[in-house]
Amino acid sequence: MKTTRRRFLVYTGAGGLGLVVGACAPAAQTTPASSAPGAVGTAARRVPTGEMKIAIPVKVPTLDPHGAQSVEDVTHSVVQHIMETLVRRDASGNLQPLLAKEWKNPDPTTWSFTLQTTARFHDGSKVTSSDVKASLERVVTLKGALAPQFAQVDAVTTPDESTVQIKTKTPIGTLLANMALVPIAPAAQVNVAGFFNKPIGSGPYKVVSWNADADLKLEANPDYWGEPPGLKSLVFRYYPEVAPRVTALETGEIDFTWRLGPDQLRGLQGNADLKIDSVPGDIYYFIWMNSSRQLFADKRVRQAMAYALDVDKMLKDLLPGVAKRQTAPIPSNVFGYAAQTPYNYDPAKAKQLLAEAGVPNGFEAGLIWNPGSAPLDRELLQAMTSYWNAIGVRVKAQEMERAVWIQNLNQLNWDMDFQPNSVTTGDADFTLGRLYHSRANRNGYKNPDLDKILDDAVATVDQNRRKELYAQANKIIWTDAPGIFPFELFSVFVSRKRVTGFVPPASDILSFVNVTVR
Amino acid sequence: MTPYLLRRLTLSVFVLWGAVTIVFAAIRLAPGDPAQTMLGATASAEDVSALRARLGLDQPMPVQYGRYLLQAARLDLGDSLRLGQPVTAAIAERIPQTVRLTALAMAIAVLLSFPMGIAAAVGWGKPIDRAISLLSLLGQSVPNFWLGIMLILIFARQLRLLPSGGADTWQHLVLPATTLALPLVGILTRLIRSGLLDVLHEDYIRTAHAKGLRSRTVMTRHALVNMLIPVITVLGLQVGQLLGGAVIVESVFAWPGVGRLLIEAIGNRDYPLVQGAILFITSGFLLINIVVDLSYGYLDPRIRIA
Repeated sequence: MKTTRRRFLVYTGAGGLGLVVGACAPAAQTTPASSAPGAVGTAARRVPTGEMKIAIPVKVPTLDPHGAQSVEDVTHSVVQHIMETLVRRDASGNLQPLLAKEWKNPDPTTWSFTLQTTARFHDGSKVTSSDVKASLERVVTLKGALAPQFAQVDAVTTPDESTVQIKTKTPIGTLLANMALVPIAPAAQVNVAGFFNKPIGSGPYKVVSWNADADLKLEANPDYWGEPPGLKSLVFRYYPEVAPRVTALETGEIDFTWRLGPDQLRGLQGNADLKIDSVPGDIYYFIWMNSSRQLFADKRVRQAMAYALDVDKMLKDLLPGVAKRQTAPIPSNVFGYAAQTPYNYDPAKAKQLLAEAGVPNGFEAGLIWNPGSAPLDRELLQAMTSYWNAIGVRVKAQEMERAVWIQNLNQLNWDMDFQPNSVTTGDADFTLGRLYHSRANRNGYKNPDLDKILDDAVATVDQNRRKELYAQANKIIWTDAPGIFPFELFSVFVSRKRVTGFVPPASDILSFVNVTVR
Repeated sequence: MTPYLLRRLTLSVFVLWGAVTIVFAAIRLAPGDPAQTMLGATASAEDVSALRARLGLDQPMPVQYGRYLLQAARLDLGDSLRLGQPVTAAIAERIPQTVRLTALAMAIAVLLSFPMGIAAAVGWGKPIDRAISLLSLLGQSVPNFWLGIMLILIFARQLRLLPSGGADTWQHLVLPATTLALPLVGILTRLIRSGLLDVLHEDYIRTAHAKGLRSRTVMTRHALVNMLIPVITVLGLQVGQLLGGAVIVESVFAWPGVGRLLIEAIGNRDYPLVQGAILFITSGFLLINIVVDLSYGYLDPRIRIA
């Protein structure tokens, strides 16, 4: 394999661990302001130059990061250039100050943020505590995908212009990490109709034009309060088809793209004009088995399904260089990950488990899925189906359009489900807490012991304690196997050589603020 | 003339109403829910129903329908559920792109098919006729997406002459317009050829030749004018289709037109946007049909509209 071109960065679990240290330390801990973007000083202010064109692999549905689609990676990727959050996750997953220069946690249910006093919105107005309040309250009111993360927020108060206090009903261990997904918009305009067609924020870039189907054009904000961005102009373009996207990268029409399949990458690896970065990401695949149905009520049946798969062979044949074996119900760079013993390929053991469960001759099961949302999904499903067939489980895959698939999925109208998933906040709560709690009832699996652990894990701000609790949760979910978690995908970024300064992120939220072009 | 136009326009309003009603019902009968699709696979049932309420989707169907008709009568097509912007604005943003693409594709099609059709008809039965017939058959049969990707591979990737996607400059227009035009060239060439073959054997053509007119004049003034009606009809239908149906080509070339807007709106169950886009496309069709019908009167004075 020609891996020389690929700079291979492995963050291991340190990314998630760092989040603890940098972020939510015990009460009254404060953070230094030195790493704020404005701290570089006036001596060597960078002059934004050149234009960079980025091909985005999925459409940016909206520039509103607060509403229904508030956990979409791609929305946050583009919006963070325009609007800023109180804290940001750096490339190793640590939380760093941004609009908040420091924060305190005087008691477990109170968070107090002190804002940068120099930050200004694009219209020149000052970023104040009431803007933070309005933005966070908007996330909660709109009841979008991010809102449940703030369900325990009791009140947001603004003691003075540069102080925001968030009171919670119970302690929320993920509050700080979740604030990295709440971009701050000016309170006076954020609820005005049409604001998000050309939003303003305090970010290093201003919107020039936006067309949901095509281009988002940004230009450097000359009055940016922090270190000026590297590029004068930044264009995000959506390519619905992958072949033209790859061609555009090869011809230099675009400078950067990500989320390419192994086939495309193989074709690009020998190209001297391109650079490929690959890091562990937060996207992974799972196969759920509906525990509330007779077929999969017995955990031995579910475990048998896991033992039936030769994961290493599928990785080698289908996902070389773009994925690795997953060893927990969440990917390895997520906070709260704890490695488990893999289900090694063992068809004999799988058959034995089926026999013990009273179905020695296997059975027939339906599987729902929506193709096209992750690389090689169809090929992987075909491979898995034949492995399951070998132990007597005849899986009938039913391909569905996205809207129809989601409806069936949410109504538990399935035996099995196959899909990619992402841990957008980088915290186990986002995935384990939302998907495996009995209250959520997303896959028919109910376990009061697990519920208790998940509840405790979110209601403590002691990050080491949270990690211990999630280690238990990982183990229970892995062993009881409401799902199979075979592969976690690397995030693979391809850029032309003229691009410098891109740092692969710990999540799938990308920043080009410090990127320059030659 | 004026009463005729008035009658046609009145009828058009009913056609639009019918189209909206059918689309309104069909998109809601399709499985899948806008709120659920927007919130994604991991949203809770409470959040989904809250969003449904906020979007007004919890109202009884007749109420939603009545409200929509009243709005539409005032030319307010509501807000797109997913884009959050007014439907009229979302469509208006894409109309120029769709019109540019359609216009250039039509121009290419007309400019290529007339010379080819005439050459084939004049050289009837000769090698040139067979070559052109074969080419037009090919043009008609090659699938759009394949042709588009081939053109990208040749002109963007190998020759580096033209950009592969986007809509910035006139160069961006060339490949998608060509892709759309080629099948049309096939259809039109065959139509022009067979139309000409029919009229070239008519007595009045022989008379024109006998009068001593130049072949060129016979062709343009006597032959072509008399077989234009079916060509204009097909051209009109094709323009109507391109206004909303260039989806595949728009996707291949990352071209932000109305077709893709509609397809993604359907995928997301963005009801108001689907309805609005269909309204636009239907209006385009109706308008073009009226223009085509009016043109008959000019082409053939025996046809009296009024």
